[in-house]
Amino acid sequence: MNELASNLRKTIEAKVPSAFTVHERRNYGHISSGIEKLDDLTSGIPFRALTEICGSNLASSGKTLVLMLLLAHATRDRYCALVDSGDSFDPISGQAAGINFSRLLWVRCGKSKVKLPPLEQAFKVADTLLQSNGFGIIVVDIANVSEKIVRRVPLSTWFRFSRVADRQSSALVFVGREPHATSCAALSLRISAQPANLSRKLFNRLDLDIEILRDRIKKPVRSTTALHIKSQWA
Amino acid sequence: MFACLHAPNFSCQAALRAKYADAQNRFEQSPVVVLGGPANLLKVVAFNRPARKAGIKMGMTKLQVENCGGVSIHKRVTEHETLAHGQLLACAKSFSPSVESTSPGTVLLDLSGTEKLFGRPQVIARKISHEARMRGFVANIAIASNPDAALYSAKGFSGITVAPRGKEAITLSCLGVDLLPAPPEVLETLDGWGIRTFKDFAELPAIGLTQRLGQTGLYLQRLAQGRVIRGLLPTESSKKFIESYEFDDPVETLESLIFVFNWLLQRLSTKLLLHSLATSELRLVLQLEVRQNETDQPKGAIGGEQYQHSWKLPFPTQDNNVLSRLLQLDLERQTFAAPIKKISIEGIPTKPRISQGNLFAPSLPEAEKLEVTLARIRGIIGVCDANAVKCVGAPKVLDTYKPDSFTLDPFLTAGASDFAPVRPIPFALRMFRPALETSVKFAGASPLFVHLWSGHRRVIAASGPWLSSGNWWNKALAWAREEWDVALKTQAGIGLYRIYQDQMCGQWFVEGMFD
Repeated sequence: MNELASNLRKTIEAKVPSAFTVHERRNYGHISSGIEKLDDLTSGIPFRALTEICGSNLASSGKTLVLMLLLAHATRDRYCALVDSGDSFDPISGQAAGINFSRLLWVRCGKSKVKLPPLEQAFKVADTLLQSNGFGIIVVDIANVSEKIVRRVPLSTWFRFSRVADRQSSALVFVGREPHATSCAALSLRISAQPANLSRKLFNRLDLDIEILRDRIKKPVRSTTALHIKSQWA
Repeated sequence: MFACLHAPNFSCQAALRAKYADAQNRFEQSPVVVLGGPANLLKVVAFNRPARKAGIKMGMTKLQVENCGGVSIHKRVTEHETLAHGQLLACAKSFSPSVESTSPGTVLLDLSGTEKLFGRPQVIARKISHEARMRGFVANIAIASNPDAALYSAKGFSGITVAPRGKEAITLSCLGVDLLPAPPEVLETLDGWGIRTFKDFAELPAIGLTQRLGQTGLYLQRLAQGRVIRGLLPTESSKKFIESYEFDDPVETLESLIFVFNWLLQRLSTKLLLHSLATSELRLVLQLEVRQNETDQPKGAIGGEQYQHSWKLPFPTQDNNVLSRLLQLDLERQTFAAPIKKISIEGIPTKPRISQGNLFAPSLPEAEKLEVTLARIRGIIGVCDANAVKCVGAPKVLDTYKPDSFTLDPFLTAGASDFAPVRPIPFALRMFRPALETSVKFAGASPLFVHLWSGHRRVIAASGPWLSSGNWWNKALAWAREEWDVALKTQAGIGLYRIYQDQMCGQWFVEGMFD
């Protein structure tokens, strides 16, 4: 039986030399997400891979906050790009979080008279930025695009992004409502928020629950973590 | 020691050079004629040796030339000749800093002290000839101890001529006197005396010649003897870096334009390189062919007689590929109402960029590559929004109390400022641009329901009102608003939103969600 399997293997390998080669994905390092608890669980946001951060767009989930903290941390020593499909980035919040604006390229899609739909614009821009190869993190925010439209994006598109990111040095991060890249994503996070505390007519605390849906590189010990962020006046 | 670089039948060479990459071969092998004069009475003003063999003579009309058959006919374009002469000067300047622009197609250069650098006169002459050929010219090169001996040797003999010191008269002896810059009446007199060559003229007795032709005659004789010693009149290098091209027939397609752009930019960058300069600003002028019937203009097309555009680059560059790509990406977005008949590109010169590499600097795209990437992105998403705020760049918060006031600065990889400390913030606002119109129902002083996502949402908690206003001195720019931060109950959970009432119009809006 073993001999038959060996012969069969040899016959196939003669025709397709790499048929039985196992391609091990190399670990190209991570960048801190800016949230210690999350870094402990996942090692951070992986370079040369696709990461998804998702959360509800109707209720406050904290995905934008995680995005801000990630950019604030990444722009300390890298150039980053934010492809904003819905023009929803708030520079004042970004400044408050400590994002170094001189190292952030903000691309506002869907604002001019160009007829291309915002999602398509965002994907094309992300592709162009990936090819330029020099940005530490490329964040594509598609949370404002209707879920119906994002669901129609074929899996081959996510696969292509994953393959292109694999050959470049950047970390590619998609921020959306639901995870769509499935196995193409190296890391997939779902973020939700608990009701905020209200004290003296001011919102002063946000409790985040981060669920790790997928981590290709480091198998997490736990799949969820809780994070409490207080305001300075709380 | 002086050298002369002379392009024979310069008008023909300039016309061919402007159109063909293999101009030298065409000039040497096929009959070429250049016509000049008024448009309704074009006459032959220049032709090459094969054209002479084909029977072409000076002053023939276009019809007569066409009857000869197989002759390549070109219209004289002054710009082409100016550009070609500029290239000859550039060629000469690559060998000597002291260059005289003697006449169109003829350049003199002082080679004193260049022997150690370039070698013996024969070797220098070969190098100059090769360089001229690389630039698309068939040139005669002559080297002599004085400028005028070199000049007449180059004009009279084809190929390379080296006149040994003290033997200039022997070298020039067989040339015809019609080469000398003599007035017609002097040439007529010499013809009457039976003087045909430089040798005949050089042997005439000086005193008798002076008595009959005056000082002019004596000067001409010294020229024929190769004995005039003079310095060069060095040309001032032009500080303007302009390249232009006029089409014989107006061009409508971008591909044809890009082909010429590449060529012009290559010349511009070569010119800049020769002067050890770079450019950080490009100015483009396109002359459009004005149409008689203005109604057939495409919608949104650029009309008028001229289209002008300038690009300010964040870095000085000499790379014509980068400049060409930027031009192409910009022109792809434009639509012109009429075909283009003339292109002119000017590069504003500046000192080249000198940057020290840093092992510890963050990885970043190369400046040139980044600029092309940004131009590509602008091509995908557009340049500005409806409020004339840029769509691509580095965000910058404006120094004002007015909410959501920001601008986008050009994104530069050089000179990025130091980072601010990371501050954990409890909330980040996700903006709705433009803000969503809504209606708010109040219970007493606090909001009770907010209309959002096609449904009334109950307010669980509210923080406010926060009043702000500004620009009250300017009615057009004045703003005043009452803000509330509200926690709304939704199907997915609790959503924290910022709502505000524009007190100038009384309308309520949802500005964004704390996310």
